[in-house]
Amino acid sequence: MPEFSLLYSAFSTALSWESITVILGGVLLGYIVGVIPGLNRAVAIAIAIPLTFYMSPYAAISFLIGLSKGTAAGSAVSAILLNTPGESSSAATCLDGYPMARDGRPRTALKIGLLASVIGDLLATLLLIAVAIPFASVALKFGPYELAAILVFALIFIAGMAGGSFLKGMAAGGLGIILGTVGMDPETGAMRLTFGYIELMDGVPILPLVIGTLALSEMFVQLDEYRRNKGQKAINLSQNKDDNLKWSEFKTTLPTIFKGTAIGAFVGALPGLGPSVGSFMSYGAAKRAAKNPDTFGKGDPRGIAASESADNAVIPASYIPLFGLGIPGSVSAALLVGAFMIHGITVGPLMLREQPEMLFSLFSGMIVASLLMLAIGWYGLRIFAKITSIPSHMVIPIVIFLCLAGIQVQGFGTFGLLVVFGFSILGFFLKKFDYSFVTFLVAFIVTPMLELNLRQSIILSGGDIAILIDRPIAGFFVLLTAVLLIRFAWTGIQQRKKSLPNAD
Amino acid sequence: MLRINFWSGLAVIIFSITLLTWIIPTFGGGGFSFGLPPQLVATIGTWIMLLSASSLVVLSAVTMVRHKHPFIVGVNLGEIWHQVWPFLYVLFFIVLAIYLPLTWIAPFLIAGLLFILDERRWHIYLICSLTPTAGLYILTVYLMRIGVV
Repeated sequence: MPEFSLLYSAFSTALSWESITVILGGVLLGYIVGVIPGLNRAVAIAIAIPLTFYMSPYAAISFLIGLSKGTAAGSAVSAILLNTPGESSSAATCLDGYPMARDGRPRTALKIGLLASVIGDLLATLLLIAVAIPFASVALKFGPYELAAILVFALIFIAGMAGGSFLKGMAAGGLGIILGTVGMDPETGAMRLTFGYIELMDGVPILPLVIGTLALSEMFVQLDEYRRNKGQKAINLSQNKDDNLKWSEFKTTLPTIFKGTAIGAFVGALPGLGPSVGSFMSYGAAKRAAKNPDTFGKGDPRGIAASESADNAVIPASYIPLFGLGIPGSVSAALLVGAFMIHGITVGPLMLREQPEMLFSLFSGMIVASLLMLAIGWYGLRIFAKITSIPSHMVIPIVIFLCLAGIQVQGFGTFGLLVVFGFSILGFFLKKFDYSFVTFLVAFIVTPMLELNLRQSIILSGGDIAILIDRPIAGFFVLLTAVLLIRFAWTGIQQRKKSLPNAD
Repeated sequence: MLRINFWSGLAVIIFSITLLTWIIPTFGGGGFSFGLPPQLVATIGTWIMLLSASSLVVLSAVTMVRHKHPFIVGVNLGEIWHQVWPFLYVLFFIVLAIYLPLTWIAPFLIAGLLFILDERRWHIYLICSLTPTAGLYILTVYLMRIGVV
């Protein structure tokens, strides 16, 4: 158990003015990004990473976590007022949020969404703190065999669960693995796939990769979508006095919020599933459990509560495998690993042993971020409602500029700009052809760790596979990976048989 | 989706074969190692890509043949142009950035795109193009002190 002095020091750090300012900035920026349709969490984190270069590691990570949380809460605003989710995970919120706003109760809908988001986020953060520490303590006892087996298992699991085709997920993961090996081989010193470019000696730089594949490519996708969705109008906040959330009404949504939080936390803790799965699962569960399911889809506040609580619970829960095992289970977690790497910190169970103050300060900062999210969302309702009316044709050029500026500011120069451009083409095709992006990114990020553990395992065992018999945990995960592969292949075949073929 | 799976899978197969037969053997590194040669992990990644893409192509092709879907349909050039021009636009400014600082060309990058996207209000041009550029200038020249980038 952590010492009391450590917890006291962590909370003191998180409650310092500097920390609150940074987290507030992150949550506020995240909220704005979440509110603007077309900008999503991944884009926001990718273009915000360069801003954190001059912050302390704690401030940088807190800022990014605040931003991540803010986008999840902010995306409900455009879902409710514009019927266009700021994030795909808020799509379920549109189902009841927009009808409720159209019926003259936009303020009530927004407040239910906000409170559900904050409760879901806060409870999942507490769960993260309760689970990640014992998890990391166990993981610290793992050797290279166990870690290598768990990493392979996680990659296969993410490829299968990240949505879309398992085969496409595996292909994207394969590409991530190849790119993850670029640079100097740590054992032989040989240059691998650098093509003579000295800039690639330390591997493919993570910042151009994430900005290109996530942010710039997303703007190209948005430009394509823009010509199809021109001229959407947001619903204005009404002056209707009845349009205010009453305790009696909010009370009816509380059981749904708690259930949604539990579903979101469970989904988030499993790598690869993501918040969209969580919010739709929670929405479906709330509808099935309701005595009057016909009201869902017509402005039922429980629909908003279910979707938003689960959506926001997924984010902190997705950090459980990250802090517990060092495995990023989502795009935002993978981006956080990138930010940790940039600041020279190895995220994972080792943090518990080597940087416990930092770990506990981050956890405390997450709680502060949840509370700030409530304050910002509550008092900024009117302003955020106005932001939804910013048309995407004004946002896209500025984000493209920010992508290029982020690279230039960090001194990557022309090489960096060309790398960003190359990865934007790759990201565009991954998105357009539905190849799992999260598998690609996670594979790219965990490959150096996987390679290191594989190398150590091979050297220690002398290449004898029978070692797995003496290492039951590693053997168990190898077996589980094989079962998982068969299961995903079988499910894929069954789905192919059931679904009608779509030629396009 | 079947046609997309088929053609994209085929592209991945070609890319994987190129990697396995030329790129990894030539540029993948070499030298003595204990247990894990420098090219091994990249080769495993490529084999994963190749096997997955091959399965995808075979399954898509079988389904398309079974349901008599054509493998090739008419290409809509207008649709392709709509997807390609943003890349060319950004590439043009990246090439310009080789010769000129990004801060100088940024207002043109933003304003040009606004114009293409049918924005005609002059104050929007001013706000959208000058504010971020001024932000970049202040950040690099006064705060980071690295000069105009």
